[in-house]
Amino acid sequence: MLGGLILRAAERETGTPDAPLFHLVRAGDLGSSTMAMGVLGLALTPILRVVALALIWLKERDWRFVAVAAFVLMMLGISILLGKG
Amino acid sequence: MTLSLLLAVLGAAAGYFGALVGVGGGLLLIPGLVLLFRLDMPTAVATSLVGVIASSTAAGSAYVGKGLANMRLGMTLEISTTVGALTGALLGTRLNGEVLAGVFAVLVFVTAGALLRPGRGEHEAAVKGAHEDARGKGWEDSGSLGGGYVEPRTGETVRYRASRIPLGSAIALTAGVLSGLLGVGGGALKVPAMNLGMRIPMRVAAATSNFMVGVTAVSSLLVYFARGHVHPAIAAPTGLGVVVGALLGARMSGRFRPSVLRRVLAVALLLVGVEMTAHALGVHLGT
Repeated sequence: MLGGLILRAAERETGTPDAPLFHLVRAGDLGSSTMAMGVLGLALTPILRVVALALIWLKERDWRFVAVAAFVLMMLGISILLGKG
Repeated sequence: MTLSLLLAVLGAAAGYFGALVGVGGGLLLIPGLVLLFRLDMPTAVATSLVGVIASSTAAGSAYVGKGLANMRLGMTLEISTTVGALTGALLGTRLNGEVLAGVFAVLVFVTAGALLRPGRGEHEAAVKGAHEDARGKGWEDSGSLGGGYVEPRTGETVRYRASRIPLGSAIALTAGVLSGLLGVGGGALKVPAMNLGMRIPMRVAAATSNFMVGVTAVSSLLVYFARGHVHPAIAAPTGLGVVVGALLGARMSGRFRPSVLRRVLAVALLLVGVEMTAHALGVHLGT
């Protein structure tokens, strides 16, 4: 995120690109798309935490909590689908 | 670039005061975004959720390293929290902005009232202690919602086991709805739910809540992503500012008297509540 802001300043990009995130990732200038990737990466961090926990519990054969983590991941997937609806 | 700097300053101020007093930065951030930057509520909520994830990511690792955050307990509560967050986010993207502002104003007034009540010392001490203690490493019991840790002040081993899980889950569901609807972290409900409702020691409750609040925020943020309410040019500088402010606030929290901080923030929140109420009613008070 910081890298994107610095690039935008270096490119003298002014104003606020009010395009939403996925548009900027695909079609923005370098600074804006870097910034957008940073936001996306940040949002992925909690999801990766849940995946990591699921793998740890899988290794420990703690099946109940593997199922719990899988349910939470499923809810995160449903969030995107329902959001698009 | 000026706008990015101003957003970062707002984020830093919200993160700083939030960390000083132990309330979420969203309570200050969202009114700032709506009233000062004239953002619509869904965009302000989405921006705040990015800030919540950023500060949770920055601070949560410290708790995990000490083993105080109980992942099994947190993940179990996330079953209902994510359902609530998804529900709140779907509502938040459909409701009128003025209605959301009114609901937010109620939350702000309630928080201001809670800050003015005595007895928050234990919570603040536990949150600070959970973050800064070099000793006091904890553990989880495999296959159950229990665990233990070594209390750093006494050297005593404290063992615990979660009870009244349906009650904790019901409160977590409510916290999730508020998070998705209003862009707050929900920790103010989750910590008492675990400590008072489920009989989890305060240090563990605070650490677990801090670690999991990012998962709650992302489950509602994904809805706002999908509906185009996340604007990186707004979210990135604000989120970075929140992280810097929160880390600074956490570091400096010992320098100020908690009672003074609580009263100052309560007054600020009361003013914010009045502004948000006016916004909800379509009355402009000169901001």
